[in-house]
Amino acid sequence: MIRAYETGREMTPGEKENWEKIKDIVKKVEVLHKENVAQPTNMEAIVEGLLYIVGEDGARVEQLAMAIDKSIEDTKTILENIQQKYAAETFGIELVGYGSVYKFITKKAVFPYAQELFGTSKPNTLSQAALETLAIIAYKQPITRVEIEELRGVSAEVMLRKLQARNLIREAGRSEAVGRPILYEVTEEFMDSFKLYTLNELPDLPEYSKEEENDNLFE
Amino acid sequence: MGFEVETLKFEGPLDLMLHLIHEQQLDIFDLDMAVLTEQYIDYLHAMEELHLEVESEYLVELATLIEYKSKKLLPRKEDELEDDYEDPKDKLVRRLLEYQKYKEVSHTLYDSFIERQDQLSKPVSFDEVIKHAHSEDSRIEGDPYDLLKAMNKVLRRLQLSRPLDIKFTQKELSPEDRILQIKARLKDLPETFSFETLIEDCDNLHEYVITFIAILDMAKDHYLTFTIDDSDNIWFRRGSNHD
Repeated sequence: MIRAYETGREMTPGEKENWEKIKDIVKKVEVLHKENVAQPTNMEAIVEGLLYIVGEDGARVEQLAMAIDKSIEDTKTILENIQQKYAAETFGIELVGYGSVYKFITKKAVFPYAQELFGTSKPNTLSQAALETLAIIAYKQPITRVEIEELRGVSAEVMLRKLQARNLIREAGRSEAVGRPILYEVTEEFMDSFKLYTLNELPDLPEYSKEEENDNLFE
Repeated sequence: MGFEVETLKFEGPLDLMLHLIHEQQLDIFDLDMAVLTEQYIDYLHAMEELHLEVESEYLVELATLIEYKSKKLLPRKEDELEDDYEDPKDKLVRRLLEYQKYKEVSHTLYDSFIERQDQLSKPVSFDEVIKHAHSEDSRIEGDPYDLLKAMNKVLRRLQLSRPLDIKFTQKELSPEDRILQIKARLKDLPETFSFETLIEDCDNLHEYVITFIAILDMAKDHYLTFTIDDSDNIWFRRGSNHD
């Protein structure tokens, strides 16, 4: 019958009646379908779904590219598009790629309401000692324990253990120096915690020169 | 020379020196080592007087300062003036400036850290599937810190998986509140009473501890006096300050 329609042959009155019925059903199905959920038709929507699934663990460009069978470049473009879409003020979450790991996180403005909802206070904090140690590693990595201690003037052993336990730093092989000491570097978790896509985004270290007034040092 | 003790917390000897340089308004590029050394020693003395433990790192740097001072007093040998000889003062200044850099930048980093803390994400879905794929009865390599790391993750997940509809928080009793409670009860208590009597209304360890801290404060302020008998029972009487 459809074939009859397609070939343009004049339909018999019986066929015509059936055809009208079928068109009616198709229309109803279409409405039903719209009332439910339209399925994604492009890869952007698929990637968005994947990012929802991976949650806080996040996903790397390479992983996503493999999953959707696209090139790294194409996947990057898709991620950028999603990022732009969610940057709009109509969304409560945003897509970030700190340390090259992409994940959805809530926007800053959501937090006060989350506090109301959960009745919680702020979770993690870092001591000044931890911050200084992390800063030194991030700027000078890979770096040995002794080099860190020389810079801060205090023992770093316990602090390095703690930071490793929090997954903010990791061992990165051994130095060629005497005793082949362990080298340390920062992790993706560090990049995520400090909102860095790459280490190049670290703020410039201040430079002090003799010409400056001494007071400028301390403000 | 008098010395005002500040109860600041220093991150180490270099941090302390930077503080002293700032306080004494010394020029870091033309450092007056004599003043710095004197102030540094004064500070360590002050810490000792307060019975604060002076960590060994502070003493190591003190040795450096004193070594510099003693070397200044001795005529310098010619061979020390070779190319690779670095004046200890220059070296110290270099270290102080280097440390100052990281200290300063760590404040900027902290801002990002705090901001990121307010932005949350949800745990991975599909966790079960992933877990099943990796569940083999094999020995797990790792040290206690790995375990700690894993436990942190578990706790974080647990926190996130708590139901949303229950919203009440347990307010912990503060020692100050407890003191007020005890004061209110004092007039109904006999002349002499025991610690056991005081903790009758407590039902967990936290409250026992808070009660204990509260009575320490009250004893200090002479609201209560206490004696401990031979069988280690603590007995209280109202103190001189009791109204």
